[in-house]
Amino acid sequence: MTNTWYLYLFFAAALVFAGLLGLLAKRNLIKLFIAIEVVSKGISLLLVGTGFAKDNVLVAQALVITFIVVEVSLVATALALIINIYRTTKSLDVRKLAQLKG
Amino acid sequence: MIVQTVLLIGLVLFSVLAILLRDLLKSAISLAAASLLLGIIFFRMNAPYAGVFEISVVAGLITVLFILTIALTKAGDEVRESRLVNWVFPLVFVAFIVIDALVMKSLLGKVPALASGPESGAFGDVLWKGRTFDLVGQIAVILAGVFSVLALFRKRDKHD
Amino acid sequence: MIILFVALPLVVAGVLPLVGKVSRRVVPDLLANATLLALFVTAAVAGRSLLADGPVLQQLSWLGEAVNIRLALDGFSLFMLLAVSLVGLAATLFSIDYMEHYGAKANYYALFLVMVAGMNGLVLATDLFSVYLFLEVAAVASYALVAFGLGHDELEAAFKYLMLSVVASAFILAAIAVLFGMTGSLDFTAVAQALRGLDAGAVVGIASAFFLLGFGLKAALIPFHAWLPDAHPSAPAPISAVLSGLLIKVSGVYALTRVFLNVFGLTPALSTVLMTLGAVSMVAAALLALGQKDMKRMLAYSSISQVGYIVLGIGIGTPLGIAGGLFHLFNHALAKGLLFLTSGSVQQATGTRNLDEMGGLAKRMPVTAATNLVGALSIAGVPPLNGFWSKLIIIVALIQAGHPVFAVVAVLVSVLTLWYYLLIQRKAFFGKLNERWAAVKEAPFWMTAATVLLALLCVGIGILFSSTITTWVQPAADALAGGVQAAIGSWGF
Repeated sequence: MTNTWYLYLFFAAALVFAGLLGLLAKRNLIKLFIAIEVVSKGISLLLVGTGFAKDNVLVAQALVITFIVVEVSLVATALALIINIYRTTKSLDVRKLAQLKG
Repeated sequence: MIVQTVLLIGLVLFSVLAILLRDLLKSAISLAAASLLLGIIFFRMNAPYAGVFEISVVAGLITVLFILTIALTKAGDEVRESRLVNWVFPLVFVAFIVIDALVMKSLLGKVPALASGPESGAFGDVLWKGRTFDLVGQIAVILAGVFSVLALFRKRDKHD
Repeated sequence: MIILFVALPLVVAGVLPLVGKVSRRVVPDLLANATLLALFVTAAVAGRSLLADGPVLQQLSWLGEAVNIRLALDGFSLFMLLAVSLVGLAATLFSIDYMEHYGAKANYYALFLVMVAGMNGLVLATDLFSVYLFLEVAAVASYALVAFGLGHDELEAAFKYLMLSVVASAFILAAIAVLFGMTGSLDFTAVAQALRGLDAGAVVGIASAFFLLGFGLKAALIPFHAWLPDAHPSAPAPISAVLSGLLIKVSGVYALTRVFLNVFGLTPALSTVLMTLGAVSMVAAALLALGQKDMKRMLAYSSISQVGYIVLGIGIGTPLGIAGGLFHLFNHALAKGLLFLTSGSVQQATGTRNLDEMGGLAKRMPVTAATNLVGALSIAGVPPLNGFWSKLIIIVALIQAGHPVFAVVAVLVSVLTLWYYLLIQRKAFFGKLNERWAAVKEAPFWMTAATVLLALLCVGIGILFSSTITTWVQPAADALAGGVQAAIGSWGF
């Protein structure tokens, strides 16, 4: 792989890690989802970066566009869940969501 | 390359800010800024379609959805985050960056890849003719999202 | 017309909300069940004849012009399509009565059909990214279905499920990106061929780990199982049946198996990892199931345990092991679907899922008690029900492949499984009739019909196991074993 790929891989990994750390550390439901968005950015960067390194940007773009469409559906569903949770528990604290034992 | 690296650093910075900032609205805007930078990065990688999508959909639509949710859940400010996190997060993150850089340096040239030929065709052809099944999938996932929102926001009558 | 499996549920799903405005119950019920029935008939009848000449790769054409949708139907995918349509049909039949009190039936069926379309699309896909995409389609539909009741528990379970599932998907995509980078292609066969030419041991190992993490979470393998015991009990009963019976298997086990056996190839190291994970899930989840008071939670842990069996069987890598694992996948889909449906009947009649509060329901709900017994004995592996044969095959395969310890563990876990299932049977159905339930009635017609259908299948397949294996399971196993042969030992890591 060309050396530029590693540059993009480096930053993509950083983004994914930041998002995962955020998932572990934060308590606000909306913040948790923002952390997930950051992970998604990392993955999109990885996809387009891979395409760029292989001179295959067209396919990579098609993949990223589809991925973004999936992301929109996910965001809509997740935020709908969050709003419903807020209506039921009057709070956005993930610690209040500990009724089920897992 | 320099410009690209600066943009990438900006992207990571804004993303981390989006996670760490206390005010939800500022978080959302920081996330939008990060998306904007990512879109520009895509443009500079000869991926204009991805860039346009990233900016209009992620920096635009998704940010609007976030702000809508923040507005509808006004008590969001009352969630007290752990103070410890504000110290620990940057430390762990910087540690990871260092490990990341070292790993990448050691991986240089180690990942084998098949050389690929020059890409042919226009983007439209690649999307419509090359990945048509994905379009069916896109329709399906949009339907899933729409029905989910309809189901989750339906008028609740008595149920047990 | 293989695309029917994806297009039909999607089109009906798209039409349902409009229909729902006009007719709130009857037409949606009819449409949804008719769709599933059509899918089942196509899979059972037309599918077999399509496969007569070997795997089919269909290139579609639209109005004369070739549209680039390539769908592959081989023994393995047809097998999964059959399972999806069977259990799906039972669930929609059950939903006719059960979903009455949830309201918004048209919306429910629409989501259900999108989920089915997603699962079918995943099964028929020929390239890695399509697998990811349809996996997400089914997943997004499932989040809303888990939360459908809009109660606190359901929302909490759905949210946690969503969070963990999205992280898993991210890892899957990352692995796909790396593979794309290395091979320049996403198609299964192309990637498999390219990987054989490259010398890429360590990176393939990392990609495998990511896939394992991602698909393992979807399949609820321990240690990635945490979302399932909350999500499956909270969902409405027919959805629990489809989630436990189908979704974890299609988006978890099927995808895992396809990637590892047909793309990477099953190396000895990978085989060991899969078998170990399977065994750990098998044992730990069975132990955890023992302590549960909530009926559906016990069933949920049992699902994790049985998925362990399936992964253990497939992980052996020998044709017999793969056949056993796949047969158990099918049997478990039927039996666990059945058990979740009967638990729904019980929940609707008594209003509770707590086993300690039940008692003696067999006197008031004899059919439900009988079908529940069939399902329980099937999963526990009691002859002559179907579960017995699939577990036997896995155990024999383990012994043949030289893993006697695993075989003993599998037998012991079977005994444990029998124990906790008999516990459910005793606490809920047999014994003295608890005074509170003196006035409950048997479940409504369609709910009973659905459970009876699945119970009859469990018995029937148990009796006719050898012909079931030759007509359905063997072609599936062959399709996979072929991939194993072609790629084994290429990397030696």
